[in-house]
Amino acid sequence: MTVSRWATGKVVRDHPFLSAIVALELVFLALPSLIVLVTSFSGGETLAFPPESLSVRWYAAIPGASDYIGAFANSIYAATLCTAIAVPAGVLTAIGLIRYDVRFKNLTQVYLLLPFTVPLVVSGVILFIIFGRLGWLDNIWAVGLALAIINLPFMLWSVTSSVNGIDPSIENAAKSLGAEELQTFVHVTFPQILPGVVTGALLMFILGLNEFIVSLFITSSGIYTLPVQLYTSIRGNVSPLIAAVSSVYVLVAMLAIVVADRVVGLQRLLHS
Amino acid sequence: MASEYDDGPRGDASRGWDDRWLRLKWRVMDGVLELKGALPSGLFRSRRNGLGYAFLLPGVVLVGFLFAGMVLLLQYSFLTYDPYEFIIYEYTLENWVEALTNDAFRTVFLRTLKLSLVVTVLSVVFGFPYAYLTVRAESELLRKSLLAGVFVPFFTGTIVRAYGWLIILGKRGLVNSVATGLGTGRVDVFGTETAVVIGLFQLMLPFAILMLVPAIRTIDRSLERAAVSLGADRLRTFRYVVVPLSKPGITAASIVVFTISMANFAIPWFLGAGTVDFMANFIHSILLRSSNYPLASALSVALVMVTSTIVLAVFYFVGAGTMGLTVEEDTIQGGGGQ
Repeated sequence: MTVSRWATGKVVRDHPFLSAIVALELVFLALPSLIVLVTSFSGGETLAFPPESLSVRWYAAIPGASDYIGAFANSIYAATLCTAIAVPAGVLTAIGLIRYDVRFKNLTQVYLLLPFTVPLVVSGVILFIIFGRLGWLDNIWAVGLALAIINLPFMLWSVTSSVNGIDPSIENAAKSLGAEELQTFVHVTFPQILPGVVTGALLMFILGLNEFIVSLFITSSGIYTLPVQLYTSIRGNVSPLIAAVSSVYVLVAMLAIVVADRVVGLQRLLHS
Repeated sequence: MASEYDDGPRGDASRGWDDRWLRLKWRVMDGVLELKGALPSGLFRSRRNGLGYAFLLPGVVLVGFLFAGMVLLLQYSFLTYDPYEFIIYEYTLENWVEALTNDAFRTVFLRTLKLSLVVTVLSVVFGFPYAYLTVRAESELLRKSLLAGVFVPFFTGTIVRAYGWLIILGKRGLVNSVATGLGTGRVDVFGTETAVVIGLFQLMLPFAILMLVPAIRTIDRSLERAAVSLGADRLRTFRYVVVPLSKPGITAASIVVFTISMANFAIPWFLGAGTVDFMANFIHSILLRSSNYPLASALSVALVMVTSTIVLAVFYFVGAGTMGLTVEEDTIQGGGGQ
């Protein structure tokens, strides 16, 4: 299909069967997002596929939908806070773990990956209980903190791959040429881990913007993030307005890909 | 950067501003170094020191919320539920008895386990060719398209994709309008396990691919060429060379897809129509509808125990795959550093 037409590469010709499967998968992966995009241009009052008429009226209705606008602002705030907390914490932790001779390295590693190994719904229960006891529920900053906690492993993976990739001889060269330890870090080490940091920051923001299940537990009406707001609206509601709001996510995702490709290269994203 | 310590003669035109900027930078750096010198020097002298632990602190504190929470959950799971006070601090085994003997719970649990396993197999089996083609694509355009094909859904989030599937598979959705158009009658996939598997498979496929790519990338191409030149056909090369060498990636992909599926909430909620609930839906309703903290805690602890037992068993028998953080591990690369 589309793939084989673009690609003049040898791989596709060598593996026609495999390539056909992959082409189908590409369609399958894109399907729900495409459907949401198409329905968002629906001209009718209710969801119908294919739409009877096309219009941008539901996009025009977004600025007036204060529920969604408020929830979107909450999501941006929480995702920004998540990034601001997780990026420095992740960088320091990764450096401490890899460059320093700390004890119980493997145990620390298992501990730091806990947010990934604990099922997200259980993290939701835990943070609901703990934040409840601390009186932190229903605060957007608490959502930001929660997002930083549960997404930390992705930041760590992103930075550790960079830190692991540093050739120590470059740092040694800097030092033997007279650079002080701190100078070495600022001028030699940090620039090398920067791509990992940028990738991690992008991931933190996007994951924060999309996070749903933990936010569902620790927010209630009024401070909903956008995914939770969409969740409460979708069932039993057939207005294409939801599709228009949802397409914002598809567009943000596409934008993130373009930005990532420009800044660090798409390949780089794989290292996280 | 390279010119910053370059004291050699330069063109006069660019000197003025650049030099002033450089001097300022030097002065700042000198100041910082002086300040550092004033601190107890032991702090920075050796690598085997407190600084490493200080660096770990922010991460350790953040994860501490979850760690403390796990302990708290364990305690809560032995406390007594009261419809008015929610929790009474009297220890009991009641919640665990309930969790282990309740039929509804067992049904939901076994369903979650079964469908998660199905989704894991589907994602790894179908993720493999995709990851392979992504790694081996010679054309930059093809590789980028394949990567974008994974990252766009990955970045679009659960809810929006669940919503997309609802429009496709719902009672008056795309599939049914096509089916009625063709006169084949209604297709009642909405509210069935099939619908949940389809949605969850699409949700998990990018995760599987992303975990497989770094592992496949480490495979030396000449090994495949050697197999082919020794007379193996494509399928055999794949079966006996590529797949075995990708084992760390296959392990990592299976674990990631399995654990995330086990905890999924949104897909069963939207596509299961209340009849295909997963553990997450069950726990959520027990906690937020009936405020039964102790039972919700017991179920959460049970979910963690079962999931981690399975994951640890895989680690033990197959190895940690590509999930480690440091290079000391036998199969390194938190997702494939080079």
